[in-house]
Amino acid sequence: MNTETIISIENLTKQFPEGDGFFTALKDINLTFKKGEFTGVVGPSGSGKTTLLNIIGSLDKPTSGKVNVLGLDIGNLSHKESANLRNKHIGFIFQVYNLLPVYTVFENVEFALLLQSYTKSERKKMVMESLEWVGLGDQASKRVTKLSGGEGQRVAIARAMVKRPQIVIADEPTANLDAANAHAILKTMKKLNQELNTTFLFSTHDEKVMTYLDRIIHLRDGKLESEEFISHENDKV
Amino acid sequence: MIKFLLNGILRDKSRSVLPVIIVSIGVMLTVLLSGYMAGVFGDVVTQSAKFDTGHVKIMSKAYAENIDQLPNDLALLGINEVIAPLQEAYPDMDWVKRIKFGGLLDVLDEEGESKGQGPVTGMSFEIYSGNDSELKRMNFEDALVEGSIPAAKNEALLGVKFADQLGLKLGDEMTFIGSTMNGSMAFTVFKLVGTVRFGTAVMDEGAMIIDVADAQHLLDMENGTSEILGYLDNDVYDEEATLEISKVFNARYADSKDEFAPIMIPLKKQGELEELITLADSMSALLIAIFIFAMSIVLWNTGLLAGLRRYKEFGIRLSLGETKGHIYKTFIGEAILIGIIGSIIGTIIGLIGIYYLQEVGIDISSMMDQIDAGFMMPSVMRGKVTPNLFYIGFIPGLFAMVLGNMLSGMGIYKRQTASLMKELEV
Repeated sequence: MNTETIISIENLTKQFPEGDGFFTALKDINLTFKKGEFTGVVGPSGSGKTTLLNIIGSLDKPTSGKVNVLGLDIGNLSHKESANLRNKHIGFIFQVYNLLPVYTVFENVEFALLLQSYTKSERKKMVMESLEWVGLGDQASKRVTKLSGGEGQRVAIARAMVKRPQIVIADEPTANLDAANAHAILKTMKKLNQELNTTFLFSTHDEKVMTYLDRIIHLRDGKLESEEFISHENDKV
Repeated sequence: MIKFLLNGILRDKSRSVLPVIIVSIGVMLTVLLSGYMAGVFGDVVTQSAKFDTGHVKIMSKAYAENIDQLPNDLALLGINEVIAPLQEAYPDMDWVKRIKFGGLLDVLDEEGESKGQGPVTGMSFEIYSGNDSELKRMNFEDALVEGSIPAAKNEALLGVKFADQLGLKLGDEMTFIGSTMNGSMAFTVFKLVGTVRFGTAVMDEGAMIIDVADAQHLLDMENGTSEILGYLDNDVYDEEATLEISKVFNARYADSKDEFAPIMIPLKKQGELEELITLADSMSALLIAIFIFAMSIVLWNTGLLAGLRRYKEFGIRLSLGETKGHIYKTFIGEAILIGIIGSIIGTIIGLIGIYYLQEVGIDISSMMDQIDAGFMMPSVMRGKVTPNLFYIGFIPGLFAMVLGNMLSGMGIYKRQTASLMKELEV
């Protein structure tokens, strides 16, 4: 595995206005993430998981401290630079699949590429390759409203992966799936993580997810409580 | 990206159908009303030019000042000296004499006793005394209900309703009683040779039409006329040209203190036509402004509803790395596309409607008695298909759609990306 550090967080604090004062969502967090990690951020509701992933995903900015993602200081990025970072290097997978219902499977996955300067044939090749990764190569022309929950989440994974991002942020990706589909999805993501060396960051409560993680970061009340590294040397998906 | 947006519009009916319907209706109404007004105002101008004003009218200054009274005692004399230089300067124009006069028409029975009388508006044209330009211009052949066009001295036409009211038949004789330009009594017996219908109340219900030579003789107006009308080449009105010709002509007599010196007045400056033409232009502009305003409000609300319905879609697109500015631009791009589609549909329907109104029209003859317009009005109000109708609807159609969506789309800029994860969880 490439051990290059792609995310570094130093003394991250995030506060939100609340009444006359502030609510501290994250306090003095220090973390680094290396390329190819399969990491989960766990903790009870209000522990700061989503806020942390929001900042790493360039959807929010730190109140203080420094967050560096792929060499870019998140706190100093403009709206356009943040969008560009997400567009090219970060994929998102949500709890609900958040597909665009009027479009086909192919069009939903292709959309992420339309914002970049790929030719039509390049886009087609990338989309089909991405759909093959998640086992939906034969469903490309189907409307997403005709898909099952598991298939919908696979399309969401294909959409996140189609631009070959360096980081994928997944917010409770298995929360709406049954056990069989959840395992299938996690295996797919783990396979992509191993084959493409993409860094996956999860926010999760799900025990099933944790069995696949290489590293678990525990947050409580906005503070880093603990972290554990799990070896899966003999696992092969 | 354009194909992606087009697919979204075509497949998501709620995104396209309602706005297209609203735009189509607004554009259709704009086209219909603009075409109808163009037809009505155009007809009024054309009718006035043919019957009354010409494209330019020459009178004595004194006559012009009292024109409402038809003061033939102030008519122009020595008119050949006025017309000849004009024919030389403007060889493509047609210069014709017209005399209007009023009096009483007395109808005699078989024994020569008066069986009925009525006030009459006399109108004279160059029917047999000039070339055939007036015959073509006034379209006497088509206006003729029965009989023939005067071809000899003291032959007259009457408005068809007027002849009915007086109980006159073709070949009957009638005596015109009035006064000459010098104030003497004028009596002449005319023979009714035909009845006419022009579709205007003034002509059909109270007019006697004779040749201008007969009128000159009747009114003791040899080598004189109350009005000389000028018509541009092919009778096609050109406002700029008439203003220029009048300016040049009037400059020649500007210093004259003679109240009988001629003065040329262009069509636009006669009667209430200037107000009418200005009104027509203002009404068109007002109409477009009203439709833009009304449709913008409706489309703003439609856009707000669409924005709410597509809240999640915009969130997904933001998370995928699309900028707010790009989402806003595509939102406006969709509005332009829908505006164009709605404008095309509305324009086609509007043009079909206005073509129908052009061919059939709305008959207002029953209301004509109550209208005192101050200018010649046709009794059938018709629309007119004009070149500007092919694009005029696009102004409110596109502008309102884009403006409505620009306002409603402002919400995109208020979106906080920090809330996206939470918002997209549900």
